[in-house]
Amino acid sequence: MKLPAIPKLGPTVWGIAAFLVVGAVAAPWIPIYPLTILIGLLVFAALAYSMNFITGLTGYVSFGQVVFMGTGAYAWGYVVGTFRWHPIGGVLVGAAVGALLALGLGAVTLRFRGVYFAIATLVMPLAAVDIILVTPALGGGQGIILNLGFEPLSWFYTIWVILAIEIGLTYWVTHGRIGYGLRAIKGDEDAAKTLGIDAARLKLFVFCFSGLFTGAAGAVNAWTLSGVFPNDAFALLFSLQMLAMVVIGGMGTLLGPLLGAVVVYIPHTYFLTVVVGAEFIVIGILIAIIALVIPEGIVGALRRHIPALRRILE
Amino acid sequence: MAEPSAVVAQLIFGIVRGILLGCVFALIAHGLNLIWGIAKVVNVAHGEFIMLGAYGAYFLNLFLGLNPLVSAPIDAALGLAVGLGFYFGFLHRELRGKEAITLQSEMVTLVATFGLSLFIANAANVLFSGNFVGIPWNAGSVELGILQIPLGGIYVAILSVAIIALTQIFLNRTYLGIGIRAYSQDIPATQLMGINPTVVAAIGTGLGFGVTMAGGAFLTVLFPTGIYPYMGALYAPISFVIVVLGGPGKMWGSLVGGITLGIIIDVGQIFLGPSIAYAVAFLTLIPVLLFRPEGILR
Amino acid sequence: MTMVLSVAEVRKDFGGVHALRGVSLSVAEGRIVGLIGPNGSGKTTLLNVIAGVEKPTAGTVTLDGRRIDRLPAHRVVELGIAKTHQIPKPFLGLTTRDNVGVAVLYGSRQDRDVARAFDEANWVLRLVGLERHAETLAANLTVQDRKRLELARVIATGSRILLLDEVFAGLSPDELREAMGLFTRLQKEIGFGALVVEHVMRAVLTLSDRVIVIDEGRKIAEGPPQQVVRQPAVIEAYLGREAARAAT
Ligand SMILES: Nc1ncnc2c1ncn2[C@@H]1O[C@H](COP(=O)(O)OP(=O)(O)O)[C@@H](O)[C@H]1O
Ligand SMILES: [Mg+2]
Repeated sequence: MKLPAIPKLGPTVWGIAAFLVVGAVAAPWIPIYPLTILIGLLVFAALAYSMNFITGLTGYVSFGQVVFMGTGAYAWGYVVGTFRWHPIGGVLVGAAVGALLALGLGAVTLRFRGVYFAIATLVMPLAAVDIILVTPALGGGQGIILNLGFEPLSWFYTIWVILAIEIGLTYWVTHGRIGYGLRAIKGDEDAAKTLGIDAARLKLFVFCFSGLFTGAAGAVNAWTLSGVFPNDAFALLFSLQMLAMVVIGGMGTLLGPLLGAVVVYIPHTYFLTVVVGAEFIVIGILIAIIALVIPEGIVGALRRHIPALRRILE
Repeated sequence: MAEPSAVVAQLIFGIVRGILLGCVFALIAHGLNLIWGIAKVVNVAHGEFIMLGAYGAYFLNLFLGLNPLVSAPIDAALGLAVGLGFYFGFLHRELRGKEAITLQSEMVTLVATFGLSLFIANAANVLFSGNFVGIPWNAGSVELGILQIPLGGIYVAILSVAIIALTQIFLNRTYLGIGIRAYSQDIPATQLMGINPTVVAAIGTGLGFGVTMAGGAFLTVLFPTGIYPYMGALYAPISFVIVVLGGPGKMWGSLVGGITLGIIIDVGQIFLGPSIAYAVAFLTLIPVLLFRPEGILR
Repeated sequence: MTMVLSVAEVRKDFGGVHALRGVSLSVAEGRIVGLIGPNGSGKTTLLNVIAGVEKPTAGTVTLDGRRIDRLPAHRVVELGIAKTHQIPKPFLGLTTRDNVGVAVLYGSRQDRDVARAFDEANWVLRLVGLERHAETLAANLTVQDRKRLELARVIATGSRILLLDEVFAGLSPDELREAMGLFTRLQKEIGFGALVVEHVMRAVLTLSDRVIVIDEGRKIAEGPPQQVVRQPAVIEAYLGREAARAAT
């Protein structure tokens, strides 16, 4: 009789760890331009993992995810601008605000299933930006402009730490009891409840993680821009990119969001020099095809079709 | 003395404009609702088809000098064709042979149509350039006491309601329409009636797209300079909120939801400013979902 | 102490539909109570009310004297009552073993150790005869195996009282004999109590210590199996008025 694999650190974990460690060690020697690209990639990866918490693990599609990014950015901008906090302190506040907002919004919206949840979350950033536009304390339509200077290494190590913690948490969640509960909810929420799973609590739990890390990543993003601007901070495009990364990489997997971040972010930086938005023509079609043909994403498809990879990819 | 009467006049003006706006909103939401109610697919790319309808009207005006009211039926015919293509190219693969649409399928179509929306909006941005454009068509206005109401708004509002009524008559009174309604309620029963579910779902989807694109043409009358590639990002959420307000699958619900939202936005704009008006409009969704998940209509 | 589940005067309305119009019964750990009745008589609704899936419109459900009818479904499972689904609801994307493992991890045992939970899951799979399919995705199971999986999952929750909704329906005579044998063995080994809903009478009459008949949301008979089926009201509910008159 074969026992199920007892959670132990497999090649995927080592691979991701190696990627992070090499990056951390090499960062001081990386030239500025590639370093800023790498920072952007890590921000996107952090966003992808935070989307993975809710949409990847529970199947609840959160179109409004950017609302946590925007509030994280504004919380950061407010404490750094008004109270002269250190930017890293601001990132912690951004994370806390993101988590709290997720707790509040999740308590209401996670009652709605399927498309209702998607729509209920979709309107959140739309309403948020409308409210911020008329809130003078947050700069109204101007936003918050700070003069913080160019500190790529501080940005790098901050987002590095956030991403490392996030991936560790993803591992812990997916490989333990909670992971089974979440997979059950994703499979059939009603059946999950009748087997003793407190679906409401579990969903809210991962949604808070999701809000926390989205808020933190939003704050770091604002730091790299040295400011927060209402229409950019809550741009739905971020939600869509987060969803794209998770869908392309593989929903609910450990490696998928990182792969998705590479696939979505790298063309993004390249195309920026060609025509703004042109990469989404490609990404859009890619998402549509993946959703219809291989809804399990790159990681899922590789696992399914190449048995040798089954033990390696997770 | 003049103060209260000025407020009342503003309020009446807001309500009238809100109703006109709401009727057109209702029409675009109706297009979404038809696809949602019949094929059980929530088309996230809905806004992009509204945008295409608006551009359709724009180009027909630019090259042929047609006014938006004349362009609307051409848009609708185009929409029907696009909808059939959308069904067979996109939805059929996921929906084929299913007796009921599972949550899983719903998520797949949600994500797939989201990819489509990214594609269409950005392709339009490259093809049409990202500038705002508009249609120089003015039908004049009528004076109603102290109010001045644009005639174009009245025309598109009336036509919107007429189109909604026509689709209702089609769904309730014709053989094909009844087949479509049967499909929307119980797919196996449709087969027992001897109706091909694929045909019915495809026609329902085409109908939804036709209505949506005609609605896009009408919007250009209310927002004369509001045509741009990413306009769908505003009208899609508005349509979603309206359908939930009125109740998915309830076709008259679109009208009630649309007018409700139109009045909230227009009256709200006058008294609270445009930002808060839209925020309120979007957030009405939450109490409705919490307390009246079937929509505000019984 | 043996657990006792009691249902008292439970009513359930769905809008204008009165699915249950005041039903009372009790099930003790270790005892098998059959619940029969024509289609639409309210059997599934009653199980849902007990399991916390639906809230009763009126009446109470108690476990050892403690009210459980306002508890959410997952709390009811933690207290040791679990229900199967008339139409099986496996987690399609998970393997059979994972399906059962979830039930162990979250059922009334509250064992948080994943490795131990899967040992337990393997044991349950062997009990119900699904061990060959342990690694099979639930989506690839036959309908009969899905029903077994339903049974395996409620057993895996460690519940002391099982609510079984038509687990014997749709079986051929041979399969039915085998399934009934399996059920008897499991019951001996584990000692659970069960409220067994069946539309088909044969399984219930053989397995149950006591049988309750409901019709149109009301209890119309209760007693030892052989006695209950002879009551005119029961024959009438099942076969119509004419048959009832002919039988008396
Ligand atoms: N969720 C529901 N909404 C409305 N009516 C329901 C619902 N569930 C069950 N019913 C109705 O309640 C009655 C009893 O159904 P059910 O408990 O499923 O019967 P049984 O399991 O005995 O066949 C039926 O008339 C059924 O149509
Ligand atoms: Mg039943």
